[in-house]
Amino acid sequence: MVTTAGSQMVCHECDLLIAVPALETGQKAYCPRCNYLLAAHRPHALAMVFAFAVSGLLFLLLSTAFPFLGFSASGQERTVTLLQSIAILVTEGLPSLAAIVFVSIVMIPAAFLIGAVYVSSALKMNRLLPGTVMMLRWMLMLMPWSMAEIFLIGILVAFVKIVTLADISLGLSFWAYVLFTVCMTVVMLYPDKRRLWARVWALNDD
Amino acid sequence: MTEHAASSAFAQGLQGCPICTSVGAAEKTHCGGCGATLHAGWGDSIQKTWAWLITSVMLYFPANFLPITYNRLLGRESESTILGGVVTLWEHGDKPIAAIIFVASVLVPLGKMIVLSWMCLSVQMGSNFALTHKTKLYRITDFVGRWSMIDVFVVSILVALVQLGNIMAVRPGVAAVAFAGMVVTTMLASHAFDPRLLWAQGLKDHKK
Repeated sequence: MVTTAGSQMVCHECDLLIAVPALETGQKAYCPRCNYLLAAHRPHALAMVFAFAVSGLLFLLLSTAFPFLGFSASGQERTVTLLQSIAILVTEGLPSLAAIVFVSIVMIPAAFLIGAVYVSSALKMNRLLPGTVMMLRWMLMLMPWSMAEIFLIGILVAFVKIVTLADISLGLSFWAYVLFTVCMTVVMLYPDKRRLWARVWALNDD
Repeated sequence: MTEHAASSAFAQGLQGCPICTSVGAAEKTHCGGCGATLHAGWGDSIQKTWAWLITSVMLYFPANFLPITYNRLLGRESESTILGGVVTLWEHGDKPIAAIIFVASVLVPLGKMIVLSWMCLSVQMGSNFALTHKTKLYRITDFVGRWSMIDVFVVSILVALVQLGNIMAVRPGVAAVAFAGMVVTTMLASHAFDPRLLWAQGLKDHKK
């Protein structure tokens, strides 16, 4: 079993087998061969994950509740909510595209954050709630399929394309989605995988 | 190369779990620490990578040659393809944005297919050439692939916003679906590929 005290690791980047020493708070360990970040001991990881995951979920909820983007030209104006902007792809005859967009920018991030709330509160209470191990595993597997940040860049590019044709307004929900993406990024990057799992295994042994 | 191979987990009959980082025997199909399916458990890595790659190549053509959007401006209808959109952006002075889209939508998917095909071929032919660099190249490929989705989102936002009847309107083309499918299949191809296989031949030579 791996513990938070020094343990063997395999570099994900270059497959080097290496013993990583126990880390003090604030310390990081990099691969001596390829400089990949192997482990980091960041303070209050569980509290951070919990707080940002809850906030992220609230912001995601808010981002569906108000106008997302507005567009006006020649005296005509159009405002859409986030979900309307996806639903229109269905009415335009491409439900498969709507499904891909919905899953990658709403469903997977939401599932990921719900999982993060569940796992972090379980570990914080020093208990393994049913399915904690499975949930943590699934969260880590889903990570590359969440595309919130890519969606935001896509919105900016779309603006550049139409900014000369019309006026664009950013709705309240747009800003909620930006904050949601920030929270999502913190939840994905802040905690150290190895430390989370060490905590799970310690509880499993009890 | 021999030094790199010898210090690697693979050479010592071990592997690290990408999900929970615990170390176990290289031939195990499931991780002892978290239960995740490991590379050996997914079946023939090369065959799977090829299957996803071929699918993505088949999607590459409709994605690039069919219209990704149908545009109407003051009653005038036009269609644009991915490359056409890049050219329009370039000519209208948004050169950096045009460059981003060109890299994300055209170069990255194509580069990814070429790189992964090269990886599969070099495993199958037992090549020992530039293994360290190839491993690095694989990691980069695996990392940047998802960013190609930008264009799909650009289209979905344009379609959602630009709906002012005859003045101007944008409708999505079927290339958008093909393109999204292509990005997803190249991501699956790169996930299916086991980079440690690159080292297998070198290890055999080393042991001789």
